[in-house]
Amino acid sequence: MIRAYEKEVSWQAGGLAIAVHLALLGALLISFNWKAAHPVMNVTEVELWDSLPNVQAPMPIPPSPLIEEQPKPEPVVKEEPKVEPKPEPMTKEEPKIDIALEKKQKELEQKKIADKLKKELALEQKKQLAALQAESLKDEKANNDKLLKEEAVKKIQQEALADDKAQSDQQILSAKAAANAGVLDEFRSKIQAKIRGNVNKALCGNGNPELKFDIALMPTGELSGVPKLTKSSGTVACDEAVERAIMASQPLPLPSDASLFSQFRNLKLRFRPND
Amino acid sequence: MTVSVANDMSIFSLVAGASLPVQLVLVVLIITSLFSWWYIFIKLATIKRAEANAEDFENAFWAGGDLNKLFEGLTAGRRKPQGMASIFEAGFKEYIRHKQQPRMEVSDVMEGARRAMRAAYNRELDDLDAHLPFLASVGSVSPYIGLFGTVWGIMNAFRGLSNVAQATLSQVAPGIAEALVATAIGLFAAIPAVIAYNRFASSVDRLSVRYESFMEEFTNILQRKS
Repeated sequence: MIRAYEKEVSWQAGGLAIAVHLALLGALLISFNWKAAHPVMNVTEVELWDSLPNVQAPMPIPPSPLIEEQPKPEPVVKEEPKVEPKPEPMTKEEPKIDIALEKKQKELEQKKIADKLKKELALEQKKQLAALQAESLKDEKANNDKLLKEEAVKKIQQEALADDKAQSDQQILSAKAAANAGVLDEFRSKIQAKIRGNVNKALCGNGNPELKFDIALMPTGELSGVPKLTKSSGTVACDEAVERAIMASQPLPLPSDASLFSQFRNLKLRFRPND
Repeated sequence: MTVSVANDMSIFSLVAGASLPVQLVLVVLIITSLFSWWYIFIKLATIKRAEANAEDFENAFWAGGDLNKLFEGLTAGRRKPQGMASIFEAGFKEYIRHKQQPRMEVSDVMEGARRAMRAAYNRELDDLDAHLPFLASVGSVSPYIGLFGTVWGIMNAFRGLSNVAQATLSQVAPGIAEALVATAIGLFAAIPAVIAYNRFASSVDRLSVRYESFMEEFTNILQRKS
């Protein structure tokens, strides 16, 4: 390691070498603020939407520039087809009261007739006055909805909003709330069904255990954080199976209406895997 | 909502939290660094002393005194002469020995003295060059060892990140910081080693040139004497 003639300086040199390293360590400890005491961070949660809530905004834009003259011929021809889809959009009233009532339907038919009249009026007005474009836009909406019937729930609600505006202000609030409740229930059951499909039921035994989970969702339908078990089934394997199922079900179905998301941010879910 | 990201980022917890290969790299680097600094200080002292000895001996030699007296003064000391003095001692001893034998050619005597001085010179140069290869290796290799530790640590940090849905900086930052400690220590070992190597190499070169020129001059003096 060292030569004989170096022995007399070796101790001194060793001491100096250690001193140099201690100096480095000291410099590291002093010059850096290692205990980066993060000041209590105020985290502001911001939700980013890739599209605006499309209740009012997108609707007026496409029709107005594109089809100013087209609506005139089209609605005239399509008055009859328009009437047919109407009942479906109008069945949005059903979720309000959960069960469709025949009486309601009669009322709806009356409303339909009223709507027909309205539309005829509107058509005349359109022909006469460009100022009443708003009315024509609603009809456009109706046309669009016909085409996009599959996206029923969301469209129904929008339609409801649009029509209700035309009808009365009082109905708007109640109808909206009721429709929201319906959509909420629908998606809640969709979420549960999706998760249920992923549960390995064999792990939950023969009984009928019940579990409760609190989950937090992001607008994309993914979980933010880990699902929290609030009520255990009693068997760890079953709890874990359900938790895995929740994780595997991402992204969870969410209504496309952005304004409803706040209802889904924190969900309490109840499971009976063996039901 | 308050989120406390109070990760204890002290250097000790960073090192303790590092994975085993990174810790091994750190240990190797710290030992290397300790040794390289130890050798640096040893070489600093010995080369300084060799230069001072050469200076003193040249002063004594060129003072014009009797060479026999100088030789006796060197051999009388308890310490073995070093550097230029040892070259002089080896050459002069060989010269006297040959002179004492009858019927020796001058060229043989000179050749013998020269060989003895050459041997002493090689021994001295070997002593001067001691540890320099180690410093050169540390200077060139320890950054790579540190880099290896860093790459390994960052690989780990990012592998851990893949399990998380929402990647945040606070999840990777400790891993990367602990990995970078390896590079820092590698550089801390390498930079002084490279500087010291270059400085010592040039010092040794200058000393060896000085020794060689002394050998030539001393050979001439011996030749004149015989």
